[in-house]
Amino acid sequence: MIRETRMKGKALFFWAILSPALALMVWLTAYPMLSVAVTSLQNYNYMTDTRSWVGLGNYGDILGDRLFLQSFRNTLVFCLGTTLVEVFLGIVLALVFYGDFRGKRTFMILAIFPMMLSTMVVCAVWKTLFHYDIGLLNYTLQSLGLERFGWLIDKNKALSSLALVDIWQWTPFSFIVIQAGLASVPAEIFEASLIDGASSRQRVFRITLPILRDQILLLALLRTIDTFKVFAKVYALTGGGPGNATETTSLFIYREAFSYFKFGRSSAASMITLAAVVLMSAFYLRKILKEE
Amino acid sequence: MKRFLIVTLLVLTAFSVFAQAAKKPVKLVIAGRDGDYGNAMQVAVDAYTAAHPEVSIELLKLSGDDIYQKSVIDLRSGTGSYDLILIDDPKSLQFQKAGWLADLGDYYKKAGKQADPDFIQSLVNLCRYPNQPSGKLYGLPFVGNVSLFAYRADLYKKYSLPEPKTWTDVLVAAKKISENESGVSGVTFRGVKGNPIVTAFLPVFWAFGGELIDAKGQPSVNSPEGIKALSYFLELAKYAPKGVSMNNTAQVRDGLLAGTAAIAPEVWPAWLGSMDDPTKSKVAGNVRVMKHPGEVTKSAPMIGIWHIAMPAASKNKDAAFDFLVYVTGKEAQKLMAIQTGLPPSRSSVYDDADVLKLRPWYPAVRDALVNGKARPRTMVWGEIENVLGDYLQMALIGDLKPDAALNEANAKLVQVLK
Repeated sequence: MIRETRMKGKALFFWAILSPALALMVWLTAYPMLSVAVTSLQNYNYMTDTRSWVGLGNYGDILGDRLFLQSFRNTLVFCLGTTLVEVFLGIVLALVFYGDFRGKRTFMILAIFPMMLSTMVVCAVWKTLFHYDIGLLNYTLQSLGLERFGWLIDKNKALSSLALVDIWQWTPFSFIVIQAGLASVPAEIFEASLIDGASSRQRVFRITLPILRDQILLLALLRTIDTFKVFAKVYALTGGGPGNATETTSLFIYREAFSYFKFGRSSAASMITLAAVVLMSAFYLRKILKEE
Repeated sequence: MKRFLIVTLLVLTAFSVFAQAAKKPVKLVIAGRDGDYGNAMQVAVDAYTAAHPEVSIELLKLSGDDIYQKSVIDLRSGTGSYDLILIDDPKSLQFQKAGWLADLGDYYKKAGKQADPDFIQSLVNLCRYPNQPSGKLYGLPFVGNVSLFAYRADLYKKYSLPEPKTWTDVLVAAKKISENESGVSGVTFRGVKGNPIVTAFLPVFWAFGGELIDAKGQPSVNSPEGIKALSYFLELAKYAPKGVSMNNTAQVRDGLLAGTAAIAPEVWPAWLGSMDDPTKSKVAGNVRVMKHPGEVTKSAPMIGIWHIAMPAASKNKDAAFDFLVYVTGKEAQKLMAIQTGLPPSRSSVYDDADVLKLRPWYPAVRDALVNGKARPRTMVWGEIENVLGDYLQMALIGDLKPDAALNEANAKLVQVLK
């Protein structure tokens, strides 16, 4: 009985000290999300301040909207493509630069430079590089006797060009995460494998990658979440064009919310995007937690 | 004597209190535009604050999208963060109808003045709701902006081409110059989706007899006239530089200045300052500016004025009204025209000899303003522009045929206008 009372007291104390943080979290996270979920079921026009319940009407509208579907497809392609390449390049770079060598510190500073830059600055630089007539990339191609490339003006290439910018900016992040993972692996493991006569290929695929599995999955999770929300690069480099070739869900949501002030539709599009991110994140998290 | 001293002291105290009140510092916040408009308004702000040291003005220089978003959020919540705002003409109805703006008629009455007839009257009517002389005045035209047509007079002469009277003439000229003049595109225009491509297309669309919204309030972009206009536009685009679909202001302006484009069917007065400047243009003195050609109907330049209006929630309405009257007055309009090339909204400034000496293309601007056409008054212009812009660009890059593009756009516009 005394023990039970003490336990109850402990639980009460626990909740008492936790409640301010919990209230703050609910207010900052759960409330906005709930508010978006409720708004997604309404026809809410901010300009005229009118709301009416439409149930799943907004979802139906949006899932039947060609622009949204194309945006979703583009976002998915961009997200999976960039994540895959960035993680792969990060692993390759980390393996290549494993161990101590002269100038490693300078290299590391230079390597993380792109991700320290503001995305808008990165876009301004790349927009000039991509320019069809005066861009450095096309100038180089022409100097080599090759055809100029419609980096941002060709509907079949524009999304890849955006992906290229993201890969340039964020591969250093992958490199650092994997590099940190590698550094935490005791060198004895690699030395033992050398003594046992393992080839380089075996050392990479049988030892290094399995050890780094969790870091790689975590990295893929972080990059997936980030790239699925791509907005600034599209806004600054192509505005979603040519045609709808680079439209993304974030741009769609932004336009519905802040150009048309149709918060019902934008909320529904946000919920669909959130569901997609949660699904993808769940896939990675399941894999990470399964092992644990 | 004692009584006299007390009375004198009281009078002096009262005077000093009134003097204090009269010189009470006021701070105005203006949600203004960036770029050329921002530079022009800064000139007026500097001149005004020099003459009124008690007034300080914070001029926010915002992009077109930013100013709209910030203004809507502020005016809708009634916080009164801004004392004056600039409004893009086709979006003005949203502000006028919502009751977010102060009726300037009341302030004119209070000041014993009237909005004088020197303003180009068709522009003032756009600032009224309803848009007629009897409508309430919710703003004044800050800038007499209108789209113009520009062409290289030297190349026209070289190839014995007549001054373009119709869009058919323009196509003939663009083809001839493109095929014969090395390194020069026959035409250049803004092809980026949304506002740029719609703005480039509208003078053609209207001249071919198209209307965005019919008399019944229904979208009609896919009328036979509209489809003909888009087919023509795509034909003209064959003589544009590669990548015209991603062309924006900078590319059009640079093309004209570098002499790599012969015709620009859409230029704006603020761009023209550099056209005759040999330090900026390789073809200075050779670019001629005029109102657009006609086709089935007469010339239809697109009016692109910006209104300056006073939010009803402003906390400094008297001071804001005073600046509003100043910045749209003859003195400030002339100052801005001379120093920055801002196209005025007042007739007298277009007749001013000092201004004309510096801006010889102003008669063409006034001609276009008087003959110009405003975009439809609707609450959903932003959506109309984006939908139409998306489909125009899809046609431009070859994803859709003109009829398919406009049919799909029209179907979507029906939903937008529902």
